[in-house]
Amino acid sequence: MKGSNDPPTLLHQMIDEAALSRPEAPAIRCDGETLSYKELSRQANGMAQVLIGAGLQRGDRVAVLLGKGLNVPVAFYGVLASGGVLVPIDPKSPVEQVVRILKATGATHLVSEPGKRKVVRNALAACPEVAHVVGLEAGDDTSFQCIPWQTVSEEANDRPPAVSMGDLDPSYILHTSGSTGTPKLILHTHRSAMSFVEWAAEEYSLTHADQLSNHSSHHTCFATFDYYAAARAGATTVILTPAVLMMPGSLSALLEQEQISVWYSVPTALVQLSLRGDLEARDLSSIRWVLFAGETFPEKHLLRIMKQLPDARFSHVYGSTETNVCAYFHLPRSTDVAGPLPIGRACSNSSIQVVDDELQPVIDGEVGELLVRGTTVMSGYWDEPERNSRVLVRRPSAGDLEEIFFRTGDRVRTLDNGNLTFVARADLQVKVRGYRVELEEVENALLSLDPVDEAAAFAVPDGEGSSAIRAAVVVGTESTSIQQDILPRLRNILPLHSLPTEITVLNTLPRTPTGKVDRNALRAQAHGTE
Amino acid sequence: MTNMTTAENPRLEAQEVESRIITFIERELLSPGETVNRDDDLLSGDIFDSIGVLRLAAFVEEDFKLEMQPSDFVIENFQTVAVLAQYILRAGSSQ
Repeated sequence: MKGSNDPPTLLHQMIDEAALSRPEAPAIRCDGETLSYKELSRQANGMAQVLIGAGLQRGDRVAVLLGKGLNVPVAFYGVLASGGVLVPIDPKSPVEQVVRILKATGATHLVSEPGKRKVVRNALAACPEVAHVVGLEAGDDTSFQCIPWQTVSEEANDRPPAVSMGDLDPSYILHTSGSTGTPKLILHTHRSAMSFVEWAAEEYSLTHADQLSNHSSHHTCFATFDYYAAARAGATTVILTPAVLMMPGSLSALLEQEQISVWYSVPTALVQLSLRGDLEARDLSSIRWVLFAGETFPEKHLLRIMKQLPDARFSHVYGSTETNVCAYFHLPRSTDVAGPLPIGRACSNSSIQVVDDELQPVIDGEVGELLVRGTTVMSGYWDEPERNSRVLVRRPSAGDLEEIFFRTGDRVRTLDNGNLTFVARADLQVKVRGYRVELEEVENALLSLDPVDEAAAFAVPDGEGSSAIRAAVVVGTESTSIQQDILPRLRNILPLHSLPTEITVLNTLPRTPTGKVDRNALRAQAHGTE
Repeated sequence: MTNMTTAENPRLEAQEVESRIITFIERELLSPGETVNRDDDLLSGDIFDSIGVLRLAAFVEEDFKLEMQPSDFVIENFQTVAVLAQYILRAGSSQ
């Protein structure tokens, strides 16, 4: 039994605890509205009760399809308190992607909102297993049980429903873009999430006086920090709406007004803020920490924003949805970081090894693949035993015991000072403004269209520190129009960030001697024409 | 694309500005067949993303011969086609 003075071990216990110790403290703010810890806890417990009333059993998957707003944390903590496994879906997903995720996770319940009625109705037409939807009113167009948000408020309760669960229970399944076929579904436990959250709260000295901005969509691992690390400290999470994120001038005004103290995002968002955020007109001295991850931060942009925010410390964090943050590098205040920014050192709850193709450790200074072991690493990919046996590898430990390491697929090198530095992705995964895109999946999407005979996707720098996807295709008929025949249909298959910004029609694709598509040649051509 | 500029046509009417913005958005940022109205919320995240906004801003600068300042990248100037047109007319007369 958990004693009243023990630290929380389950994610939702953090808000119940904050609700007891500082009930009126703001937990979440969005667009001028506030949820106190007490109200968040009460609403989340109401959500949990509603889900259990709709037949939810411990371990059942509950998908959440919501735009940014105060409903998100209510849904998240409500699902967790019910004993369900949370499956947040990218709110920008096309219907096909929603269907794939619902089917692959075997979700039985869905939490959504009236603005998503059309996509829910279309997705659930293909997913009869999802029998209960919280957040919609019943209507002629629904064949599933609808429970409106009003019912959640009516069930609000100071105490969570009595559900027996432990910290090794699954907590959530996050999905990568997985634009065709099945997206990668990454399963974490309460413990793996809490381990990251506790490390982060301590490393960045989070307190209830902090305001953490939530930049990234709530289906990403960035939001794990924004929401849960804030809750661990009893701090406030300020959700940034799409409108604010599209308008850097409005964003910087909001950061000032909300006295944001901790920021976490991909570098691209900070580059926009630095270039077009009118920072000279703002007092942003409240910002203590700026965390960034996911892509290279172009040095000129980094140095400029460090000058624009002289009171902030900058922290380069490394990890993936599979591992949470597992290494970090705090930039020195003097901005004399020469060469590529290191990944830094392993977090206290992680250990890392750099190995060769045979998984044997390389000597310091040599390039190898990064392996990670630690309490923050995922349980595995949902329902993918074959992939799990490839990436979760056993390595000898003490005696006849073995330990499990995660193969990151990232090639790194250990520097003389002990810091790690990133060299390259081992495969064809690229990042576009923080989103993972598998080039082969973009190609598969193109090839699924009738006019396309051959397709190659490749990444080029977008000039602002991120990558842009481009594609080259060979088409069967000369009259094929990219604008009319390809792009509209591609938009139905691929999420926005995976869409090529430019598609070129070629007579043939360049090939390597072994017959593989030569992406380097395509990149070079693209470079030459600019 | 016809490229009328404020220099050639100094007394731009709001209606004309709005129609040029709508034409650009529908042609360059939306799927064929999708339309946008002058009072639609452009910043809901459902019409286009931050890259789309940057392309729209680049169009505004080029087509109306304006130089946008960092302080111009605010919700009040971009929320709808109608307010964007008002911003363009204000900025055009002050530059």
